[in-house]
Order: sequence, then structure tokens, then C-alpha cells
Amino acid sequence: MNRTLLLLLFLALAMPAAAQNSCATALPVTEGLHTVLAVDGDALPGNNCAYGNGDHAEWYSFTSPVDTGVVISTSFGEEPTDTRIQVYTGACDALICLEGDDDSGDGYSSELDFTALANVTYYFNFDDTWSANGFPFSITLIPPPPPPVNVIDFAGIAVPGMNYTLGAVDMNNDGLDDLLDPTESNVHIGFQQLDGTFEFVDIPTSAADHPASWSLCVGDLDKNGANDMLYGAGDGVTLMFANEDGTAFTEVSYDEYIFCQRTNMVDLNNDGHLDAFSCHDVDANVGFINDGSGTLLFQQGGYGETCGNYGSVFTDYNNDGLMDLFIAKCGCDPEDLLMPNSPGGVFTDVAPDLGWNDEHQSWSSAWGDYDNDGDMDVLIGSSSSAQHKLMRNEGNGEFTDISNISGVNSNDGQSNEWTTHDFNNDGWLDILGGDGMLMNNGNGTFTFDNTVPYNGPIGDMDNDGYLDILGGGTIYYNQSTGNNWLRIWPVGSVSNQNGIGARVHVITNDISQIRDVKSGDGFRYMSSLLAHFGLGQATTATVEVHWPSGIVDHLENVEPNSTIVVHEGLFSSTEEIALNELALFPVPATNHLMVIGADLNNRMARIFSSTGQLVQHGVVSASTIDIGSLASGVYLLEVTTPKGAVKRTFVKE
Amino acid sequence: MKKVLSLFLILFVILVSCTKENIQEGLAVLDEEEGDRLELDPQLFPFNTLSSYRFFKGQLALQRPVKGVLPYTPINALFSDYAHKLRFVWMPAGTSATYTSDHDVLDFPDGTVLIKSFYYDRVQPADVRRILETRLLFKRNGAWEFANYVWNAEQTEATLDMGGSHTPITWVDESGLTRTVTYRIPSQAECFTCHKFDGVATPIGPKPQNMNSDLAYSNSSTTAQRRPQNQLQRWVQEGYLQPGYPKRISTVARWDDPSEELTDRIRGYVDINCAHCHREGSHCDYRPMRFAFNETADPVNLGVCVPPDDPLLPQHTFIVARGNTARSLLHYRAASVDEAERMPLLGRTLVHDEGLALISDWINSLSPACP
Repeated sequence: MNRTLLLLLFLALAMPAAAQNSCATALPVTEGLHTVLAVDGDALPGNNCAYGNGDHAEWYSFTSPVDTGVVISTSFGEEPTDTRIQVYTGACDALICLEGDDDSGDGYSSELDFTALANVTYYFNFDDTWSANGFPFSITLIPPPPPPVNVIDFAGIAVPGMNYTLGAVDMNNDGLDDLLDPTESNVHIGFQQLDGTFEFVDIPTSAADHPASWSLCVGDLDKNGANDMLYGAGDGVTLMFANEDGTAFTEVSYDEYIFCQRTNMVDLNNDGHLDAFSCHDVDANVGFINDGSGTLLFQQGGYGETCGNYGSVFTDYNNDGLMDLFIAKCGCDPEDLLMPNSPGGVFTDVAPDLGWNDEHQSWSSAWGDYDNDGDMDVLIGSSSSAQHKLMRNEGNGEFTDISNISGVNSNDGQSNEWTTHDFNNDGWLDILGGDGMLMNNGNGTFTFDNTVPYNGPIGDMDNDGYLDILGGGTIYYNQSTGNNWLRIWPVGSVSNQNGIGARVHVITNDISQIRDVKSGDGFRYMSSLLAHFGLGQATTATVEVHWPSGIVDHLENVEPNSTIVVHEGLFSSTEEIALNELALFPVPATNHLMVIGADLNNRMARIFSSTGQLVQHGVVSASTIDIGSLASGVYLLEVTTPKGAVKRTFVKE
Repeated sequence: MKKVLSLFLILFVILVSCTKENIQEGLAVLDEEEGDRLELDPQLFPFNTLSSYRFFKGQLALQRPVKGVLPYTPINALFSDYAHKLRFVWMPAGTSATYTSDHDVLDFPDGTVLIKSFYYDRVQPADVRRILETRLLFKRNGAWEFANYVWNAEQTEATLDMGGSHTPITWVDESGLTRTVTYRIPSQAECFTCHKFDGVATPIGPKPQNMNSDLAYSNSSTTAQRRPQNQLQRWVQEGYLQPGYPKRISTVARWDDPSEELTDRIRGYVDINCAHCHREGSHCDYRPMRFAFNETADPVNLGVCVPPDDPLLPQHTFIVARGNTARSLLHYRAASVDEAERMPLLGRTLVHDEGLALISDWINSLSPACP
């Protein structure tokens, strides 16, 4: 029997019942063929499973006495109607999106399946985004699928008052990620409340010369306790400096032309002052060097000189304590840049030496320790060259291409956004990009899941310890449960306020994980500044924060499932380590300072003036530090060791 | 007394405007008086001011070319926020361009200067013409270089400025509609972004396929004695093009000529508006579209039923979905003014209503629906 005949038969048998026009009057349906005469009922206000929202919808409900798999399909006939289905759980006045489908059937028709639990009512609707015409649809029952392993599940909920949002970042220092939506002359912020609701404020600003149309990043540049913003536009960048309580912003725009792509904030020269950065699509990249008084000086050159710069990200890939620069490149000169940072903020490209100068077309990359071996690996996500590259950091400056054996190309979608977080809190970093999420199996392989929402800003928008995704006016709440988690909130003092560039270690019984605190990852958005860790079933953890200053804070027996505030130096235990015999010689010193009492060779050494300014940095060599260029005075020497930072004062003659 | 003075003033203005009429886009006014042709030393370029080149006689703003400066008008022009454009070419005496192929830019000799002025008519509040910028592309030692001149408010001079700037403009268009734009004068890096092929600078418009058309040549902007002549033939006559190029040239259709086939019009439109980035060797050649006129006979190169690498919204199933503008990313980008979504990326902040209407008509004319 051919399809058309089957359709006619079904149409003849099906009761042409008028579908109901609202959720409250949804028509209960069971297995079989049904007909929508026309889509002219009430649309769901504001909520949807996919995107946009039709003006009208037709509503049905489904309830089964036993667990069952359900297939809903509008895929009938030679040219099926262009439909869209959305399936919800919950009550009509508080619907939660379970699943949606647009085009999985023939042509633009829809088809989806979901698991209906016994005696739970599921609402579904068809909206008129594409067509208000009637159409047949079928409900088929299938055996419920076995519970998936490594499950990840998001529920989309429209948030009244929330616009298209660029940032998921704490803007009022309460440790909760907020919704941040800056437009040309307004900053729309949804402050997350303890009950998971949002309190929206609008802060008018001067009309930014360069709005955040290409990218946004956030950090406290002037160390006044409130986060500032960097807007990236197609013709330049604007800084918006927050006042001390974050209730007003002052614009500083740069006249220089930049075809801005990704923006970042990071302490480029490790002087304790947070700097800013902008990728430039058609020319050399630009750093904005903070002179310590809140003035950032435009500095073009030294960060990649050719065009095609799309996704900049800063991470310490060679574990030397300095934030290195990677730029995913595309189009003009698509050879990616990997630029280790050396003291003073000097960046040198080593990608060609590593054989990375291929023609891979990418707009962003996701850096993280995918194998939990203590160094940062990278997924360079493809934007249009088909293959994604997963490079395993071997810890010796070399990388191995494990794209094939890891299975990352089972996600064959292309996208501009690529980010990594532990979304299911199992202790292994997952990857979001392409057509969905690559779930880390913890054994060097990934399993592709295409049911997750598109990429967006990422933060914990209900403070449940699971990272959520923002999209349009919707929050996709991460529903995964069962695993423990820990979140570290670094508060800097010697280092920058946000602890950007800090390396955070979390060690549990079975695994040791690391994160670098970043402002600006993926391509466009600003995600949470908190360092998020999944702990699996572990019930206690050791936490170490290695600050850009070299200070190390160390916490033992930390209980999971909370946010831990780590103030720089507060958990630093320099007195107790076996370095208390350390002495400096001679007193006063002249051109060379000798370190006596411990072997600190090759350790990072910083010298601060009596006013706390970093005046020199380098490494200890032959137990000696050259201080010939210092003026006479009293200084503080700080040497970084694996057990913490050792500080001693000395006098230069 | 006052009245009499006003009358005199009005008469004076009329007299002046009669003899110093603005030149219109699409009309080539030539200097046919006796005299020497313009000679310049390209090694001294770029000059600090536009007047230093002596391309124009009399008032600079009238844009009346001197002998040796030849006006030209390509068949299709890039949409630049509704700005009008006047174009001229100058070459050193005794040199000429040569034909390479229908779809390659003419091979110009060293010393060539391509001159393009961007203006709006009926600029408010004075309701007068205002020239905003004059862009030069000049060829020296085998390579093209940019020199961009920004006009002063008095319209007496234009000064070299490669940094880029914005100028707010309100004007009344041909249909009487008042429009406003923050007009972008590009920086050098922006010029290069579009005028780039295989990493080196290049002109875009003067290809035989886009120049093989008649232009009304005249020695006065006011006379009715306009002599339509094929531009390529005129270039040969002026000594600016080597004779012997093919008689039959595969020529673009005017995108705004309703008597042409819809497919030919859209091919003409995307060729001039999109192909400078979307062809091999150009800024965005990593995306699958190939919009150059010589490549768009194949609808796949136009993106027809091709899924996009970067669907801005999930509804954008195809770059061009036959019969369905809402599913076509090309339509969405052409309709957008968001600078991270709109196409073309540079040179446009307004929607090109007429271009968008053409795109809609073309997409709606296509069937059957993409599989």
C-alpha cells in the first residue's frame, strides 16, 4: 500500500475533531491519526521549545497508564505542510519545554519522539510560524527506550523581561550569575535572586560609539569592585567603566578602527592590572594595556600581525603561570596562532613549529583539560572545513591530534561557537558546539548528543550547581541531577580583582581537575567568571588556587555543592612550609640578591616596591636574582613554589 | 531696497547654477576643449588634497573632469546606503589597459588612477548635493594602493584620511522619502577587506562583463546632445584599452531592469554586491557560496538548497530555500541591519529595499521546495 493510499485511508477513518485552542482546553489524544483543520488557537505566550513563537497554536494532551515511547509526526503526503511541534510537561500556567521539532519529517514537516512516563500528562502544540493550514498528524506508541547513559537534559523556559542576552555573569558580587544585555545606550541586567527569579534593572548609558554587536567581555579593570565591560563592534571597541556600586557606567571609546571579533580581558603583562584584548578580522590584533590608573592604552601589534583573527582565548597551556594566547583563524590567513606568553607580556607564535599551520577554518576553540592529566588540551571547532581538531597536550610542549580516536567528529555540525564545561558534573569536560554536545566519556572518547540547545552564554541561572545555556529570551535549564559539584569564586588583591588567569585545581579521590579563569571564550558571548567543577560522586575535595601573582591558596576537606569564595592569600600557608630557613644575602644587597637556605632555582620570582607595584619578574638562577636595575629602597621578593609563595623583604643599596 | 537686493541675488544664483550644473550619475561629461591632457607622476602619490591632482576643472565639487580623465559607469554598482557615485579613470599618456577575460578586472597599466566620488542629493537641511568622499585606487610598481579623501562641509576640498570616520546625513530620495544614515567612510583596512584577491589589493567593478554597455557621453551636463557609445569602444578610442578584445562578451544583466530574466538580474545583483567576498581567493571564500557572475550559472553556487555552515537561527534551513524566503538565510541577512548578521558586511547599514525585493521575488519564483 503506498503512502498516499494509506493517508487517504487514515483520513477516512480519523475523526476530524477540531483541535482545541488553548492549553487549558487541550484535546486529549491517543495512538492513531488525527487532523488539525487550521492553526488558529492561542499561541503560548513567550514560551517555546525551539525559537521564535507563532501567533497561533493548536493544543493537545497525551497521557498513558504505562511508560511508553511516543512518536508524533506530520510527515504525510508528497508536499507535507510546514509544521512545528512543541512538547511540554508541567501545568498549563507553568509549562516546561520537553522537546520540540521543526523539520525532521519529509520536506519541512515535523517528527519527534519522547518518553511518556505513566500517568503524566504531556501537552503538545503545533504553531503557525510557518503555516496556518491544516494537516494530519499521527501518534505512534513505541517501546520506551532504555534509560540513556551519561544523560544531559535541558528544559527551556522563557523568562519575562529577558531579551537577547550576551552575558551570564555576576554583576553585583553576590556569587550568582546575572543576565547581562547591553545595547547602544542601555544596560539591561537581570539580577539573579536566591529563589531563581530575576530582578531587572535598566541602566542608561551614553550612546556607545561601538556597541557590543560582535562580542562582549567583562571584568573589573579599575579594581573598584564593580565589573566593567568591553564592547566589540565592527568598527572599534568601547569600554564601559562601572562606578563603585555598579549603578552607572562611563563610556571610553577608542577612535582606532578595529573589525572586532572576540574580545577578552586578561592581565597580558602580568603586572597585576587587568588588560583588555580585541581580535581584529582584517588587521593586527590589539591589546589595551592598563597603566594601573584605569587608563588602557591602545597597543596594536605583538599579538598576531595578519588578518583572519576570529576567536581569541587566553589559557596557560604550558603551565608556566602566564596566560597564553590562542587565536582560531578563518578566511584570510587561516593559520591558527598559539602564542605562549613570556614575562612582560611578549607573545610568540609557536603554531608553525607544532605543525598547526593548516588551513583549518575556525571561529573559536575550546581549551580544557579533557583527560584530567594536568594540562590544557584544545578542541578547535570547525566553522566550515568539516573536521574538528582535538589536540591532546602531552605536557612537554607537544600536542597529539586525537580527533579521530576521540570521536569528536561524530558531531559533524559546523558552528562559530565552541565552548567547554562539565555540563553533567561527572568530572569530565564536555564540549558544546556544532550540532550539539560532545559528552566526555572519561576514557578519551566522546559521545555526541544532538538534543541540546544552541550555544549561548553559559552560567548557573538557578544556582543548582548545573550550568545552564541562554538563548534569546529563554533559559535552557540544565536538568541533570545526581552528581556533586563545586564552584570557586576567586577574589583577587595582588592579582586582578576577578582572578582572571588564576589556575584552579580541584582534587578528589579519583581525579584531579584544572580550570583557568577566563573572561571571553567561544566567539561572541560572556560566560560565568566562576570556576565550575563537577565532582561525580566525590564527597570531599582539595582546592588550590594558583594566582597570577604567584600566590597559592590551598583548602583541604572542602564539602561539595556550594560556591567557595577564595580571597587571594587568605588560604596561603607560607609560614608552615619548610622554607622558613630561607634568607636573603647580602644585606643590603647591591646588584645581586642571593637566596640561601632552599633550592629555589628556576622558580618564578617577583619583586614588588614598597607601594606594592610589581617592578621586576623573572626566575631564580644559580640561587641568584639580578637586581641591578632597581633603584635604592625596600622591596618585597616573592618566589613561587609548588607549596605556595614565599615572601621576604630586602633592601637595595 | 532689500527686495531688490534679494532679486539680484536670486538672478545671480540662477545664472551661476545654469553654467555650473551638477553632473549626474550615469552621464559622462567630457572636456573637449583644446588643451593639454593631464599628466601626473604617480611616484608622488598620494597627495594630501584631492585638488592637488587637478583631475577636475573649475569648482572641485562640480566634478568636471579635465582632458585625460574619462568618466565611466559600470552596469551594476554596489549598494552603498543609497549614495550616488561618480567614477573616472586616468592613465599616463601612451599607456592602456588590456583585456584578460570577461570576468577578470582589466589589466591596468602602472600609473592608472580609478576615482570614485560618493554623494547624496537633496541633503537636508539645505536640500543640496553633498559629496562625502572621493576614493582613489592607484597602481604603482604593479600594485594597487588606496587613497581616500574626505570632503569638507564647504565642499571646496577633500583631504587625505585613511583612518575611517562617520558622517550623519539626512536626505530626500528620488521618491520624496526622507532618509537618514550614519554614513561610513572606510579606513584603509576596510578598503582592503573588499578590494582583496589572493591577498593583494584589486579593483572590483571594471571588468569587461560589467563595462560592456553604452554610456551617454557629452561635453556638457546641460546639453541634450548626448551620444550613447559602448564604453569599451570609447576606452579604445581614448587609447585607454588595447583593441582586439573578443567581440562577444558574456555580460551581466542590470539587476534593476525588469525586462531582464529574474535569474539574470539576481546573478547581476550578487555579482556586484557579494562576489568580492564570496569567490575563491577573497575575504570569505571559506563559505560555500560562489557569487561571481561567471560561477552562478550553477544554482548550487548561489546557495540554492545548500545548508548554511552558520544558520543564524534554526529556521535557516538553506542559504536559499526554493520558494521560501523565511527559510532562506540569504534573505535574512539581506534584510538585517544588525552588523553581525547583515550582508554585505561592509558598505551597508541600511536595508537595500529594492535589492531585497529582487531577492524575495527570485526566491519565491523557485520551485519545487528544497528536499
